[in-house]
Amino acid sequence: MIPIEHFLIVSASLFVIGVFGIFLNRKNIIIILMSIELILASVNINFVVFSSYLGDLVGQVFAMFILTVAAAEAAIGLAIIVCFYRLRNSIFIEDANTMKG
Amino acid sequence: MALYFFYFFASTAILSSFFVIFANNPVHSVLWLIVTFFSVAGFFILVGAEFLALLLMIVYVGALAVLFLFVVMMLNINFAGLRSGVAQYLPFGILIGLVIFIELILAFVPWDFKEQSFNNLSSPINLSETNTVALGKVVYTDYFLLFQCAGIILLIAMIGSIVLTLRSRPDVKRQNITEQIFRDPNSSIEVKDINPGEGI
Amino acid sequence: MSFFETNIGILAIVIGQCFLVMLCVLASLAFIMYGERKVWGLLQLRRGPNVVGPFGILQSFADLLKHVFKEIIVPTESDKVVFFLAPLISFVLALIAWVVVPFDDGWVVSNINIGILYLFAVSSLEVYGVIMGGWASNSKYPFLGSLRSASQMISYEVSIGFIIIGVIISAGSLNLSEIVLAQKSDYGLLSWFWLPHLPMVFFFLVSALAETNRPPFDLPEAEAELVAGYQVEYTSTPYLLFMIGELSAVLLMTALITILFFGGWLSPVPSLPDGFFWMFSKMLLFFFVFSLIKGLVPRYRYDQLMRLGWKVMLPVSLGWVVFVSFMAHFKLLNYARW
Repeated sequence: MIPIEHFLIVSASLFVIGVFGIFLNRKNIIIILMSIELILASVNINFVVFSSYLGDLVGQVFAMFILTVAAAEAAIGLAIIVCFYRLRNSIFIEDANTMKG
Repeated sequence: MALYFFYFFASTAILSSFFVIFANNPVHSVLWLIVTFFSVAGFFILVGAEFLALLLMIVYVGALAVLFLFVVMMLNINFAGLRSGVAQYLPFGILIGLVIFIELILAFVPWDFKEQSFNNLSSPINLSETNTVALGKVVYTDYFLLFQCAGIILLIAMIGSIVLTLRSRPDVKRQNITEQIFRDPNSSIEVKDINPGEGI
Repeated sequence: MSFFETNIGILAIVIGQCFLVMLCVLASLAFIMYGERKVWGLLQLRRGPNVVGPFGILQSFADLLKHVFKEIIVPTESDKVVFFLAPLISFVLALIAWVVVPFDDGWVVSNINIGILYLFAVSSLEVYGVIMGGWASNSKYPFLGSLRSASQMISYEVSIGFIIIGVIISAGSLNLSEIVLAQKSDYGLLSWFWLPHLPMVFFFLVSALAETNRPPFDLPEAEAELVAGYQVEYTSTPYLLFMIGELSAVLLMTALITILFFGGWLSPVPSLPDGFFWMFSKMLLFFFVFSLIKGLVPRYRYDQLMRLGWKVMLPVSLGWVVFVSFMAHFKLLNYARW
């Protein structure tokens, strides 16, 4: 049996790399979306590992819902990127400043 | 044996996720993201969540990453401009990352389940049935409403992304099959009697 | 404790089995390619390959040598790593799918609980070989071809998924061997899933053709408009790998049809024994159907293909899932075999 800390450390590293990616690639919205996927994947690891080590299935059910939401989020996000690109011809986040209310 | 597999998946997961954020070309980022998802699926199989592992492969790798690839490839993006300013954010990013990482490690490493937590399980895993069957029994009973909600979220996402990206282009010629089928010679062919040397 | 009970021994057994399956699949691919070309030859009143070996039976091996000994040309502006990764991916994915395919009762490398899901996942990954190859070539035609082919594969995967769900509901298991065994009864041929799922057999056949980019849906390589789709820039061994991958995917689809609808290794007549022979001959029969279709049917236009996928296949197969779950829930007409 693999100690549970091992999994938790890997998922923590994935989470941190995801956050780091958002900070690092502030201009590139596609990489930011990918970093969000990384963060969600690390959360999924935690859910599934805890569910398995605790012997409770609910964690896996929740991981499934996270999967659903992540898919929906990515689809909508990419659709918005495509829309934005058609308007501005770029995907720089700095260009998304016309909606000042 | 399982431990070696764990180390393999862990190293690929961490390395590939590094490459996701450091790759110069977004297409390479997406490809590394796929490798990361593969290793995460490997973790799921190691802890016995086989259905979720395959689901992750089908949803993330088979659909989501293809979507990413399509968008990255189709948009003509100035990749070099997107990379500028990375060095400027690097120190702050490292600081934030380090702080979060240390916090998470401090929380995770001394992890231990309390005795009573094993007595308060809402749906304990029954090892005599397969993972898929067990998951189905929980999802379609206790979490049925949440499951329906997930379906509605997907439906809304689908409608939303179609509405956002749909363009009706008037200059494109479209095929109308019913119109084609209901064409008959009476309405489409006309016999004309033309006198020599006159034309129509 | 004998050697085969240690970790290394188990690993050796698994690797040996994988090699055996791989060898069998690759060898049968060579002869099946020959058979397919003979079928087209007959359809077009030609003789087909007839020079190498008796009746030209060694033609595929001659082709193999020809491909391997040619020069590999790499486009200058291409992304070299991805360029060579693409054929490897499509080759490897086409081969690793075979580990869960049961050829006979117990003749399977890895009898996992979620075999059909694994097959579905692998076949949904096959898109990557195509997309990466087309993109890495850094050329207009391959890129257009790869985009077409990828959207085509994704569209038809959805209906394949729904058809598979219908069969799973009937069989009550995701394990391929159990799906086959659910079709076993005293009535032989009549108890297989093709009878209760009759419309879906045809739908699956069409979706399988589209999923594997076979004619009449071979739009990615429509010679007239796109030269050869995503493989334009590929030569020599990488091209060969693409070819093998494609053909192996076709063979996998025949295996999948056999397992899902035509009872795998079960014999059609109750008095005859079941066995590997039946599985193989059913697969050959479906491969023959595939080659006939390739020779007989004209190519679809791209918008027609997409319309067929999204407006016909998807709604009908979705409706069929609802129908099957209704029948299975109320245990009508032997739809539920659990």
